[in-house]
Amino acid sequence: MSRFLVQRLFFCAVLIVIVASSALLLTRLAPGDLTTGLGSQATAREVSDARARFGLDRPIMVQWAAWAARAVRLDFGESFRYQQPVAPLVLQAAANSAILAGAALFVATFAGVGLGIFTGSRRGVMPAIVRAVSVAAVSMPPLLTSLALLFLAARTGWFPVGGMSSSDAGQQGQQWNELAAHLPLPVLALALPIAATFERLQSAAISEQIHQPFVTAAAARGVPPARLVLRHAWPVSVKSVAAIYGVAAGSLLSGSFAVEFVTAWPGLGRLMYDALQARDLYLVAGCAAVGGAVVSLGMLLGDVLLALSDPRVREME
Amino acid sequence: MNGSSCVWSSRMPSLILLALVSLPVAAAPVIAPNPPEQRFEDLLYAPPTMIHVWDGGPAVPFVYPQRLISRIDRRFEEDRLHPAALSWFARGRLVTGGQTPLLLLGADSYGRDLFSRLLFGGRISLSLAVLSALCAVVIGALLGGIAGYAGGWVDGLISRSSEFLLVLPTMYVVLVLRAVLPLVLAPGTVFVLLTMIFAALGWPIVARGTRAIIAAERHREYVEAARAVGISPVGLLLRHLLPAASGYLASQMTLLIPAFILAEATLSYVGFGFPPNTATWGTMLHDTANVLLVADVPWLLAPAVAIFLTVLGVNLLVQASGRPPVQLEG
Amino acid sequence: MSIRPRIPLAGVLVSLVLVTAGFVYWRSPTPPQAEDRQASLVRGGQLTAGIRSDPKSFNTLVASDESSAIVTSLIQARLVRINRATGELEPWLAEKWEATADGRQYTVHLRPGVTWSDGMPLTSADVLFTLRAARDMSVQSSLADGLIAGGQPIGASAPDPLTVVLSLAAPSGLGLRVLDALPILPRHKLEASLTRGTLRTTWQTTTTPADIVGAGPFLLSSYAPGQRVVLTRNPRYWRKAPDGSALPYLDRVVLEIIPEQNAGMLRLQAGSVDMLQSEVRPEDYVTVRKAEQQGRLKVIELGVGTDADAFWFCLKPEVKKNDARFAFVQRREFRQALSHAIDREEFARTVYFDEAVPIWGPITPGNKAWFTPNVPRYPPDIAKAKALLSGLGLEDRNGNGVVETAAGVEARFTVITQRGISSYERGTTLLKERAARIGVALDIVPLEAGAMVDRLQTSNYDAIYMRPLLSDLDPAGNMDFWLSSGQAHFWNLAQRTPATEWEREIDTLMTEQASTLDPARRHEFFNRIQQIFAENLPVLYFAAPRLFYAHAPRVVHVVPSVLRPPVLWNADSLGVSGPPRSN
Repeated sequence: MSRFLVQRLFFCAVLIVIVASSALLLTRLAPGDLTTGLGSQATAREVSDARARFGLDRPIMVQWAAWAARAVRLDFGESFRYQQPVAPLVLQAAANSAILAGAALFVATFAGVGLGIFTGSRRGVMPAIVRAVSVAAVSMPPLLTSLALLFLAARTGWFPVGGMSSSDAGQQGQQWNELAAHLPLPVLALALPIAATFERLQSAAISEQIHQPFVTAAAARGVPPARLVLRHAWPVSVKSVAAIYGVAAGSLLSGSFAVEFVTAWPGLGRLMYDALQARDLYLVAGCAAVGGAVVSLGMLLGDVLLALSDPRVREME
Repeated sequence: MNGSSCVWSSRMPSLILLALVSLPVAAAPVIAPNPPEQRFEDLLYAPPTMIHVWDGGPAVPFVYPQRLISRIDRRFEEDRLHPAALSWFARGRLVTGGQTPLLLLGADSYGRDLFSRLLFGGRISLSLAVLSALCAVVIGALLGGIAGYAGGWVDGLISRSSEFLLVLPTMYVVLVLRAVLPLVLAPGTVFVLLTMIFAALGWPIVARGTRAIIAAERHREYVEAARAVGISPVGLLLRHLLPAASGYLASQMTLLIPAFILAEATLSYVGFGFPPNTATWGTMLHDTANVLLVADVPWLLAPAVAIFLTVLGVNLLVQASGRPPVQLEG
Repeated sequence: MSIRPRIPLAGVLVSLVLVTAGFVYWRSPTPPQAEDRQASLVRGGQLTAGIRSDPKSFNTLVASDESSAIVTSLIQARLVRINRATGELEPWLAEKWEATADGRQYTVHLRPGVTWSDGMPLTSADVLFTLRAARDMSVQSSLADGLIAGGQPIGASAPDPLTVVLSLAAPSGLGLRVLDALPILPRHKLEASLTRGTLRTTWQTTTTPADIVGAGPFLLSSYAPGQRVVLTRNPRYWRKAPDGSALPYLDRVVLEIIPEQNAGMLRLQAGSVDMLQSEVRPEDYVTVRKAEQQGRLKVIELGVGTDADAFWFCLKPEVKKNDARFAFVQRREFRQALSHAIDREEFARTVYFDEAVPIWGPITPGNKAWFTPNVPRYPPDIAKAKALLSGLGLEDRNGNGVVETAAGVEARFTVITQRGISSYERGTTLLKERAARIGVALDIVPLEAGAMVDRLQTSNYDAIYMRPLLSDLDPAGNMDFWLSSGQAHFWNLAQRTPATEWEREIDTLMTEQASTLDPARRHEFFNRIQQIFAENLPVLYFAAPRLFYAHAPRVVHVVPSVLRPPVLWNADSLGVSGPPRSN
């Protein structure tokens, strides 16, 4: 197990480095640069100062080396657009995205696995309805769902239409209230297809397990039906969900971009988009690094979950 | 949970759905009542034209022309004094409104017919998705086949790189790749560019599955026999091994299509896709960015419905083939 | 074998219904409370306004973007103020002034007892310092161009701490109006920087807010980049309300940075901001009217705007001399042909949904004092446009729909514009379509604001479509636009000598206009200038929109102005009655 973990961690580190470096290099190679953000009042002197400060006057490999050397010390440089160090900006945005993704994952797991157990272990009208809704929901990508929900919110006024908080940070006590109001819409949009996927997988897996001999044997022993499903059939079936948990977490990041954009949630995706627009080099690299870290974390989590749930995987490594 | 029996009937709904989407799109020049670029100046944000079939008694389908009352207030009224019968098979189109524009799904901010734009836009969006999926499958099949057959360091290289690419969040990568290129390009150039980007991101998943299949097939007797006869590895791969994976490749291609439709939609929505005046499902979605406007003009959401129906159709099809629609593209 | 675990389904459903009902009840919008408006004593509270970008700097000599200008108007004060509603000059830090008969000398008397926000007295030394700083070479202030009369910088001297004598090399028709753009800066805080030559980089956005001292109604409290600027009440503000009570009424002003038009509209409608920086977009008019009916917003009609969307080609010979297209672009017939191709009524209908008036020059009917309708007009006439193009040798010889010269040089241009502005999108679409009818191909390229301005400043473009903002209603306040040597003479920036005869003529007339004191003669000169402009069409104008502005009803004492900022220009007298709507 420990060897497995170490191997995975190494892979994660490599991933982060490659992702961040490529982002940095690509942005550097792109046409235009961040000095266009200086606007009309900038003198030639200021433009060249800005260029020098961000290493744009040096050859690309030299700049990359300098950046990498600093990054190892966790100094990710400065954002030109916001005139601040990159790390706190990116971490704040990542935290916002994490709130969103975490809530979505929680909702998706809870609802998806729960409903999957329900539809997989029963027959009848209700499970059939849930199944049909699930199939439809799998086809509802976050982009479309968030648009539809936003439309509904604008029409009815039940939800705040977009953003993470309505008023300025002055009212500290309001923060949880604000979050509670602003969170449901993007979380629902993000969680829906994932919950549906979990439901489908869990449902298929558990209905397969229910027909296994060991379950029949337990039933013959007199185990009550609820315990049969939850304590005997389900633990074995959960590995099919655990297997894609890593991919699901990764897709959360992708899906969250669309949701963040549509609902103006100040997360990592939105920050990266703005940074790319402004050709803000170090900010792009920072976002990519954090994005890579999140993705590898999700992958690691998925792998660990899989290893935990399926002893065979542990043995193989 | 099986679909192996009654395959046709369980596939029916999805096939109908897909046909409903793709046939009108393919036949757009005939089915669309209006040219997609034509602006009706007096019909900005006009609501859909109601088709009436009752006029005291049953009547030939007709519409009332929409008259503009106030442009800034977006108010229209039906001109009940001049009903216009629908004209069929006129000017090379299936149906038009005759004297008055037939806006089956209303009009957008320039007064362009949303339904026609949906059809013509679907041509671009769907063909982009299908073409990219095809390219991704071809590249993935080749690379996966080579990896599965050759083994050793070649296999290691291809596998590691495809694993790496699989882990990356697709949307971010697409975003970065597109953003670093000049933003405003001709629609044709954007089409080619997006095809290349999507294919580059789609091949790893195909390669991984193909590799597994080929690696397993490699040890079969017929392969040994073919090698003994002297067939070259390339021929072996192309003519014997890859066809074994054809079922898998077909289903992968089907799964990639909705993912690419969505990717194009997301890119165009944020402004990194096709130029805004080209009709594609993504650029039409771009108009929905003004949510308060859409609350009042809901027919602007038509492209979202079109995308949903297409994705649903594909997922239903895949499900009917027995695989759960695990469409979690990372 | 089927298993039926006894999961209490009914219980789950019931609780789900209850939760949903509770949520709906919690979130349904509360009807707006009847406001108890007390006539004039609405004291305290916070105003939240949306601005479109981060301020570039808190140093008013350096930054002249809109956001910085708004912040400046709130934390700094000038000698005199142009009332944005009436256009009249008002005493501000200056209590009164006298001018000599020849207009070459102004004696300005400062208001006694005015202190800076840190308690130091404001004296004539500060005024002199500010003038010196604005003209200083190391500062390179854009304000310097405005402080010139008769080709010479305005001289200043201070006989006593409350008097400033301004000497002009030649009489100026503008008079003291130029001083509206010049906020007075504290000498005791900034003189050291000026001496060291570092004034340009002082008071950047990274400065500690407490270091920034001003004589305006508010103090800079905090700045969170990308988020907001917070200003609090200046207890030492010198101005008093007509009834003698202290100003400003507001305790706080928060400027939320909302770059996107859609997001701003959403927040305005939801009540999380009280007003936005810009006017209501035509497509949002219905939304805003609905909100007004629900009591959530108040909509004011500002009348015809004073600025309009403009389209021009880069006409700088130094940059374009190797461009084969320049041969015909620089001919006015080419631009006249384009002008004939556009139907301005259609433009008003399509881009502004009928809420606009056609115009043919930079001065719109909204500028009532200076507008003249007697300028050459270009009715839509495709045949005439094509004839004009033929006269230049431009014909479609190869049948591809685009005209070209005999040598095969196509009339195809790239038009850059700012992305994300819906009226620009509609305007450029229409322009492109209409130009295509006479065979001129325009490729529209939306860019980020910064990138577009950069290309404009370096004259690195074919053509641009945008709305330049003129700073003053009085044309003499826009010398940098009218004079060929000006920094805002967009189509051919900062020329050493006028490139064309008509520009030379405008230069002469403009200088005359600026230095004449007789209003009738000034109008005569300027009408002629408008005619010359419309004849030669360096810039094409199409329609001037009627502006609507929306703000929260809780904002009181609003005096709307068609100039920007429509409401905040009068910030020290604004008040709010009641808390913000919570939804």
